[in-house]
Amino acid sequence: MSLVTIQAKDGASVEFIKKDPKQGGVKDVYFSPDRSYVVAFYRKELDFGSKERLERLVGNYRVGIFSKQGAEYWKNLFRWPERIVEYEKKTGIVVPVYQPNFFFPENTTLAGAEKEGKWFTSAKNFNRFVPEGEKGNLLSYLRICINLSRAVRRLHAAGLAHSDLSYKNCLVDPKTGDACIIDIDGLVVPNLFAPDVLGTPDFMAPEVVTTMKLDPKDPNRKYPCRETDQHALAILIYQYLFHRHPLRGSKVYSDDTEIQESLEMGEKALFIEHPTDTSNRYKIQKNDKDFLPWIDTGKLPYKIMGPYLKELFEQAFIKGLHTPSERPSADDWEAGLIKTADLVQPCLNKDCVKKWYVFDNSTKPVCPYCGTKFKGQLPVFDLYSSHDGKNFRADNHRLMIYNNQYLYLWHVFRNVFPNEKLPDSQKKPVAYFSFHKNQWIMINQTLDSLVDLTNNKPIPKGSAVPLTNGLKLQLSQEQFGRVVNVSLVKA
Amino acid sequence: MRRLPVYLLIDVSGSMTGEPIESVKNGIQLLLSTLRKDPQALESAFLSVITFSDRVTQVVPLTEVATVQLPNITASGGTSLGQALQTLTETANKEINKGTSSEKGDWKPLVFLMTDGQPTDSVERGLQAFKEGKWGIVVACAAGSGADTNLLRRITENVVVLDTCDSNSIKAFFMWVSSSVSASSKRVDSGAQPDTLNELPPPPEEISLLKF
Repeated sequence: MSLVTIQAKDGASVEFIKKDPKQGGVKDVYFSPDRSYVVAFYRKELDFGSKERLERLVGNYRVGIFSKQGAEYWKNLFRWPERIVEYEKKTGIVVPVYQPNFFFPENTTLAGAEKEGKWFTSAKNFNRFVPEGEKGNLLSYLRICINLSRAVRRLHAAGLAHSDLSYKNCLVDPKTGDACIIDIDGLVVPNLFAPDVLGTPDFMAPEVVTTMKLDPKDPNRKYPCRETDQHALAILIYQYLFHRHPLRGSKVYSDDTEIQESLEMGEKALFIEHPTDTSNRYKIQKNDKDFLPWIDTGKLPYKIMGPYLKELFEQAFIKGLHTPSERPSADDWEAGLIKTADLVQPCLNKDCVKKWYVFDNSTKPVCPYCGTKFKGQLPVFDLYSSHDGKNFRADNHRLMIYNNQYLYLWHVFRNVFPNEKLPDSQKKPVAYFSFHKNQWIMINQTLDSLVDLTNNKPIPKGSAVPLTNGLKLQLSQEQFGRVVNVSLVKA
Repeated sequence: MRRLPVYLLIDVSGSMTGEPIESVKNGIQLLLSTLRKDPQALESAFLSVITFSDRVTQVVPLTEVATVQLPNITASGGTSLGQALQTLTETANKEINKGTSSEKGDWKPLVFLMTDGQPTDSVERGLQAFKEGKWGIVVACAAGSGADTNLLRRITENVVVLDTCDSNSIKAFFMWVSSSVSASSKRVDSGAQPDTLNELPPPPEEISLLKF
């Protein structure tokens, strides 16, 4: 083995083992001796603009994201290039290695393969090839989508656009809900550095596909930008949650595959679940059994993800599909996904493939994945908050209660949000729930001023309050403290 | 869902006996194990193997890469290339879903042909039938110096040459086939199909691209 030691442009010493590089699309990748980072060299010489872009990404933009609040948090969501090196006339970047949980473990059939998104977005791969213990559950896919939305939100807040979001550039781990954006060296800085690529076809926005044949200097030609990232993000979220593509239906425009492609992804792009124009519904073919039930939009329509995501999907794939300014922002997705995670309830069937499902707002909830009916009592918390301390209004936020569900500070206060800014001290549960002696109870762990408004009774720390239909609880008397209204569904 | 059919057309004439045929078998196994770790290929690629000597046999009917089982292949006899092209065309016609005005069909098949010698039958009829078929990328590989590259050139403009028919060269060829199938399945996965060799990964040094 031959160890090479070089000095990075920032003066740091960089080591790599010059042997058997892993070959990517444009780079040769070598490991450091301790395997904590890789050095990736561009095979072709970079032009001035690309070098300048790298300087900025490694410099200002990296510092901007990683030196502020939440720096540690972002390290898990981005594999961000840390240094630039030059060696034998080639430019390279130093990037931290992927966390080990982004590879399939040794004792599985896919040992060592990267957990790239395509394993999980494809119904056939998910059904047949992803090892059983690696499939995750509905909650973990919601977490993946929250993480991706958050990462994109951060890029956009920094004035960057990813420009090529796809399942190749996102590693995900459905076992934990972790997600990480990789290949960041191609990021677009709007108005400063133009994109290298137009994107990956499944994820390219219709306006980019429609205008890609125009002359590059034509002002009508559309390039990747924040709005096209928003389209790609919506596609990714839909694919992770449903294991199908929202625009690849059965409508035939041409027997020429290239024309078909450019119309179905571009000018004529149409949501496969469009409520009134049903012409692009996916018609199940006889060789499709490996893709079932996921491609069956009749059985698993987008509405099963609950009201918040339903609205966002409609905004992304109906209203905003051909009107980029209407597309939901990464922020919108993050907020809607977080609220949706509070809407899930466990499936009573322990063999259910998704383990959880979003409450369907009915008195007789049924798991859409396995058809198991809910039986028993199901408490639902509707959250209310006040701007003047007197009048409380519905927050359009609901929390489903199940055994070992927890209440957190972001439920208690309307000004607390579960994101990278939240200090660890505020991430601890403040109350939990249990089905005890045939009754649901909430046990107060750390709330100072929890009051049962219905019976006008304080609930001190360490004591429990039975959850009855119509019960009103004030979670905190402090400013921004919420009130909840309890409903009990009996099925 | 659309499939990406991949046909391997392999010369198993007597001259392939020994190291070449063993290398071909190892090469196909390598191809399969590589594709089985590629989520795009696993989802859409389907493989068929047709061998030709005195007779032409489809030893693997069009099967998804996850479940292909390679039978033992032995080398003997002549090189019925014409009949092989004829059989390939007829088989593909039967196996491939061509689609209708209301249903999307399969992607156009990729064809990888490997031969080490001169045909021992008349190729005209088979070549004619083949030319009438609808194919994606077709690559002909002349393994060693005995193959007739001019004839291969009439089958496809994509002719590659292995200078020797040894295990390293043959392995390199199948590695390249696997990266080509991977790249193609990635592209069809996203709706576009490559139609020239330039859109495939460049071949390794053991393989030279024949330029005319």
